Amino acid sequence: MITADVYKKAAEGDFDAIEKICLDTWEPLYRFIYYKVQNREEAEDITQETYVKTLKYFHKDKFPQENFLGFLKTVSLNVIRDRWRQKQRRGVSVNLQEINPQEVASDDKQSDIAQRLVLKNALAKLSEEQRIIIDLRIIRGYSVAETAKLVGKTESAVRTAQYRALKTLAQILDDSTERQIGQKRRENIEQ
Amino acid sequence: MSNKNIEEKLSDYIDALNNEHEPEFAVTDSDEELEKLQETVRLVRTLKEPVLPDDDYPERLAKTVASKIQRGKETGLGKPTKTLSKSIKRILLPMTALAASLLIVVLVNWLGLFNQDVVYAMEKAVAQLSSYHGVLEMRTKNAAGEEWLVRRAEIWSESDKYAIKHDDGTLTVNNGQRKWQVNHENKEVVLLPILPDPTGSSFDLRDEAKRAKQYPHTVIGTELVAGREAIKLAISPPGGEEYYLWVDTETNLPIQLETAMQKALQTTYTFVSFEPNTKIPPEIFAYQVPEGYAVVEKDPGQQVATIEEAAAISGFMPLLPEQAPLRIIAFKDRIVLDYGDTTVMEIIPKGEFKPAPNASLGSAAGGPLEIWYERLRWRQDGIEIQVEGAKRVELASQIAADLTIPDVNQDMASKAKVKVPVDMEIVEANQKQVDSGSSPWQLDPLQVSLTFANLKVTPEGIQGEPQIPMSSFKLVTNNSVEAVVEVEDGPVERVYLKRLVRQDETGIWTVVGYDPR
Repeated sequence: MITADVYKKAAEGDFDAIEKICLDTWEPLYRFIYYKVQNREEAEDITQETYVKTLKYFHKDKFPQENFLGFLKTVSLNVIRDRWRQKQRRGVSVNLQEINPQEVASDDKQSDIAQRLVLKNALAKLSEEQRIIIDLRIIRGYSVAETAKLVGKTESAVRTAQYRALKTLAQILDDSTERQIGQKRRENIEQ
Repeated sequence: MSNKNIEEKLSDYIDALNNEHEPEFAVTDSDEELEKLQETVRLVRTLKEPVLPDDDYPERLAKTVASKIQRGKETGLGKPTKTLSKSIKRILLPMTALAASLLIVVLVNWLGLFNQDVVYAMEKAVAQLSSYHGVLEMRTKNAAGEEWLVRRAEIWSESDKYAIKHDDGTLTVNNGQRKWQVNHENKEVVLLPILPDPTGSSFDLRDEAKRAKQYPHTVIGTELVAGREAIKLAISPPGGEEYYLWVDTETNLPIQLETAMQKALQTTYTFVSFEPNTKIPPEIFAYQVPEGYAVVEKDPGQQVATIEEAAAISGFMPLLPEQAPLRIIAFKDRIVLDYGDTTVMEIIPKGEFKPAPNASLGSAAGGPLEIWYERLRWRQDGIEIQVEGAKRVELASQIAADLTIPDVNQDMASKAKVKVPVDMEIVEANQKQVDSGSSPWQLDPLQVSLTFANLKVTPEGIQGEPQIPMSSFKLVTNNSVEAVVEVEDGPVERVYLKRLVRQDETGIWTVVGYDPR
């Protein structure tokens, strides 16, 4: 349990207090960030930046004791957004719309599960060969050369296949997202 | 963008994520399709478990976060004062003495460097600074984070006049006409030579400022220094440790300088109070001997009207540039010609002419010319001449018409018959070591050549006296970037060296080739 006193000390730079906060909360925060950025390097950096930003901007006696993790997650989304904006300026393409701060406030487990289902359904609609290539390259993390050997194709054919598979998948997801949004809207109107 | 390009880019993106690295692509044109596909890749990856950091990550995280928070909270002042160490006191004396010119000299020299608005504003502010009154503190911090006040000095400065009151009560004044020091402990007023003014030339930071011109620098952010908001600039000497300068956001004048941690000690100079362009009471610069105080003269020199008068005092006739000096000051053994920003000093030399080991070499009056920071030194007609300051080359050329400054673009190293491979990582580590005060011999091309040539004779190491003695080594050329050393004996006839990290007096020499005998 992190008390108000610990937050206050942490905001003043007390190492023990900062250590307690970090040790208690880093893993769910890191997982949340990793989920967004999908690589360890960036997730580690953003986790660190999130704590620094959060503690620096704590005002006296104004600590979010009830949902500190939710607060951290919101800050982390801002950090991600800032970084990605900077990348966009450098010419790296990212999609800012992918970040939805609203989802942070609520318990995100449910939406995670829903998204997994949507994804699995979408993958099931790909051809077997496409599914295998996506599985090998993205889920299992094999290189193009290794994947080419495993499926008996050239490297160039693997790259083409993964591109087509992802294009199809994106289209399927778009369609299902649109359906989900339509469903949500209907629910809201009915409420 | 063709499909082939997008396929490859997408594949690279997947590879970066698989390697747990932040993807970094130089996509120059916006490509919605690629963005969409990258987003899809990230979504698919959410089906697998995140890769967690190393076991020590939570601890590292806490440490880094704590240090960043602590740094953000620091204001840098108000720490308890501890006893001074003698060695620091010794270093400090010339340091505080020069505090008067610190602000102007250090910063004027820095000004050309920055493109940012803050630097432009600082340039203007320093140019408009006609006078100031401030209190400068020097603090030292050790690696354990303990900080103590080394010295504090109150400074008044107005054009070429300055007065410095040290915390022990000693007052040093230079009013342009004379320079003196009032020592209350001994009840003495010591008259000092007005020129050359060592406080104007022996200050390390001044040289550092000069070098900083070519160094990269960045704006770090805004911090509170002595209760004032200041912009922090980081200055990074190539191959050296970064150091910092703070510029007051209100006055645009620099108020703090922090050196890099060297030998576990870090020094910070802070103007804890500073009033720019203020009216300084004339009595500050007025020469007055307090009642009961003795006046001690330490050959303060004598301002004379003509060269003949100077020659009568010093016992020799100096060599003169065409341009007439503003002032002539004669001492028992030397004559100083004052040109404002440049001084010419002439003496009757004793012994052999020995250029500083890491000085560049040119030629003047048919002999060697030492080029050392902003100083030129050579011998001509039995007189040793030293010209220091902004107009040194112009004035020196008026005395020695054949004066030659070495060509830095001259390629000598490529003539080496045997090339010596260089590991830049080791060279950079050596440079850092020398920057921190260790192994200064690496700044001397003769010493580096001696080590190199003797290791060819005794590869297992040099024990006791080297087999090929120092007297066998002769510096033939040094254009400040490359140097050639000739060796009289042993298997090596000629050693070719380069300053690989930094091409100034602080840069170490590395052997890049040699000619076997």
